[in-house]
Amino acid sequence: MTTADCHFWDPDIPTPDLQYTYTDIAGITIRKPILTTQTIATILAGLEHQRTEYLCSHSLPDIFDTIMDLITQWADPDSPWRRIAHDLLPPITGYSPQMIEEWGFNVFLQTLDPRDLPLTGRLDPHHYRQFTPYCTGYVKAAGKTPKYYDNDQPKLIGHICAGNIVGLPAVEMIMDKLIDAATWIKPSTEEPVFAALFAHSMESLDPDLAYTIAVLPLDSTQTDLNEYLFSHSDLIRATGGEIARHSLMKVADSCKKPLAGHWHKFSFITIAREYLSDQATLVARLAALDVSAWDQQGCFSPQVIFVENRGQTSPRQFAELLANELQSMMRILPKGVKAGKISILEGYQEAMKKQLLGSPVQLFSPPSHDYLVVYDETTDTVEPSPQFRAITVKPINDINEIPELVRPLHRFLQTIGVAVPIERLLPYAEAMGACGATNIRVLGEMTLQKSWEPWDGRFPLEELLRDDGSNWVSISFKDMDNALQASMTRLQTLHKDR
Amino acid sequence: MIPFPSDQWAQHFKDALNANPNYHTKAADWEGDFLFIIAPDTAYPHQLILYLDLWHGTCRAAQFTTDHPQTAYTLTGSYSIWKQIIQGTLDPLRAIVRGYLSVQGDSRKIMDYAHAAQELVSTAAHIPTTFEDTK
Repeated sequence: MTTADCHFWDPDIPTPDLQYTYTDIAGITIRKPILTTQTIATILAGLEHQRTEYLCSHSLPDIFDTIMDLITQWADPDSPWRRIAHDLLPPITGYSPQMIEEWGFNVFLQTLDPRDLPLTGRLDPHHYRQFTPYCTGYVKAAGKTPKYYDNDQPKLIGHICAGNIVGLPAVEMIMDKLIDAATWIKPSTEEPVFAALFAHSMESLDPDLAYTIAVLPLDSTQTDLNEYLFSHSDLIRATGGEIARHSLMKVADSCKKPLAGHWHKFSFITIAREYLSDQATLVARLAALDVSAWDQQGCFSPQVIFVENRGQTSPRQFAELLANELQSMMRILPKGVKAGKISILEGYQEAMKKQLLGSPVQLFSPPSHDYLVVYDETTDTVEPSPQFRAITVKPINDINEIPELVRPLHRFLQTIGVAVPIERLLPYAEAMGACGATNIRVLGEMTLQKSWEPWDGRFPLEELLRDDGSNWVSISFKDMDNALQASMTRLQTLHKDR
Repeated sequence: MIPFPSDQWAQHFKDALNANPNYHTKAADWEGDFLFIIAPDTAYPHQLILYLDLWHGTCRAAQFTTDHPQTAYTLTGSYSIWKQIIQGTLDPLRAIVRGYLSVQGDSRKIMDYAHAAQELVSTAAHIPTTFEDTK
C-alpha cells in the first residue's frame, strides 16, 4: 500500500518524539503528524529565522527564477513530482487523472508565472469609477465594505485551503514569497497531500526558500492549535464553505487577526443572442468546458446558464447542444471516481418532479447520469446546481433581466462566464457589478483566474498586504471574439492530447 | 559626494552603468528607454523626471528633464521611495511588487530582465550621493 505524507517543514527543525496517525484514503495511507503547541512553536520559530536569514535578503529575481523553474517542472509530465501526483491525487481527490494533469497542471498551474503579475502600483478607486482598461481587460471599483488592515511587511501568513481545487496551496506559497512572508498552510482534510508535495518540489530546487514554508495538517476541532497559529500570524487567508467561514471568523475575531476569506459562491453563464448563430456549437463547447472543469466543484464553476431568446439557436436547442458537448467533454476531461452520482440523481428527480407537475422543464441526461442539463423556462427562481456537471439552462428575453433574477443571491455572486458583444457587455457588467458579481470572464476561462484579476473583489497579492475595503470588478478581456478564440485554442490543445 | 538631483549625478550614473560589466552582460539584449518619475512628497515637494536611454547593455543618455518625452517605460514613485532605492535600502523589484512603484509599458519584459534592473539600481546605490532633502 502507498503511504503519503501531508506535512512539510525544514527537517533540521528539532521535533523530537513526533508521533503520527495513519488514515486510509482510497487505498492510500496518509501519514499525519500529531502536532502540539510546542511543536508548532518550534516550527514557527524556524520559519521566522529562515525568513530573516534568507528570504528578506535574497534577490527577488533569483526567487522569480526558482518559481519559474518550479512551474516548468510541474509542466513536465515526466517530472518526478508529476509522477507522484499522478499516482496519489486522482484516488485521493476523486478527480480523473486527466482533470488533475491536463486542466490542473498543464493549464491552471501555468497561470502562476510571477512575471505576469500586474506591476501597476496600487490602484486608486477614484480613478476607476467606470470600467477602465487594465492589463488585458477592464476593472472598476464598485463600492466599499467596512474593513481595513494595512501591513506592508507581513512576517507570517497562514493559509487554510479548501480541497476542491488542486493547486491552490501552490498559489499561496508563491504569492507569499514575492512579499517576503513566511508561510504556513493548513491543507484540506479531503486533499491533504498536494501542498506537501509542492513544498518538497520547491525544496529540491531551493531548500532555503522551501524552508520558509510549513505545511501543517490540523483538524479544525484542534481549537488551541488553530488559535495559536492565528495569534502568531499577521494575516490568514482562507477558502472554504459556510461552516468554515463561521468557525474561522470566530477564531480570527478572538485572536484579533485579519482574515481574508473566500467562501461559498454562486457563478453563472450569460449568452447573448449574437453568439447563437453559426458560433452556437462553439459557445456550447466552451460552456461545457466551464461546467466540466473541476467537475463543477469550484466557486467559479457555473451553476446556471442564461440564454437569450431571439437568437438563431433557441435556448432549448442550446440546451441540447450543450448536452452533446458535455458528452464529448466526458472523453476530454473525464469524471473521477467521486462522480457525485447521487447528487446528479437528486437533481434529475427534482427536475422530473417539476416536469410532471406541469412546469416547462425538459431534461437532457444520458442513462449513466454522468451529466445533467435541465432546460427550465421558469424564471421566478434561480436555484444552485447539485454540481458534478449538472446545469440548468434558462431562457431570458434580454440579458438586462438577469440582475433582478440573481439579486437574491447577491452575497454569493462571483464569476460570470460570458459570450456577449462588448458594447452590450459593459452596461451589463456595470449592473452585475452593482449587484455583487466580481469577475466577468470569457467562456471557457471561468475557472482560470488571471494574476491581475481581483478575487472576490480584492486583488490577490494586494490582499496579503492591505485591504482598504474597496471592492473591484473585472472583465478579463478587451475583445470578445479574440478572447473566445483563445479559449477555443486552449480547448483544442486538450482535444489533441486526447 | 554628488548631489541628487543634479545633472552631475545623472552623468555619473551613466558613466557608472557603462563601466559596469555585470550590467552590460545582464542587459545585453535590452532595448528601451525609461522615464523615472519622482513624484513630490513631504520630503521633497517638486516633481523630478529622469530620462534614461538604455540600449544593449549600455546607457546612451541619462539626464533630468522637465519634458515628458514618450518612452517605452515609465516608473513612477514618490521621492522617498526613489531615495531608498537609490540608497540601496529598498529593492526596486520589491518596491514594484508591493505597489510602491508603478510601471507603464510592457511589465512582462521588465520582469524578464529583473536581474538587469537590479544591477542598474545596484549601480546607482554605489554612487556617493547626497540627497537634497537632507542638506
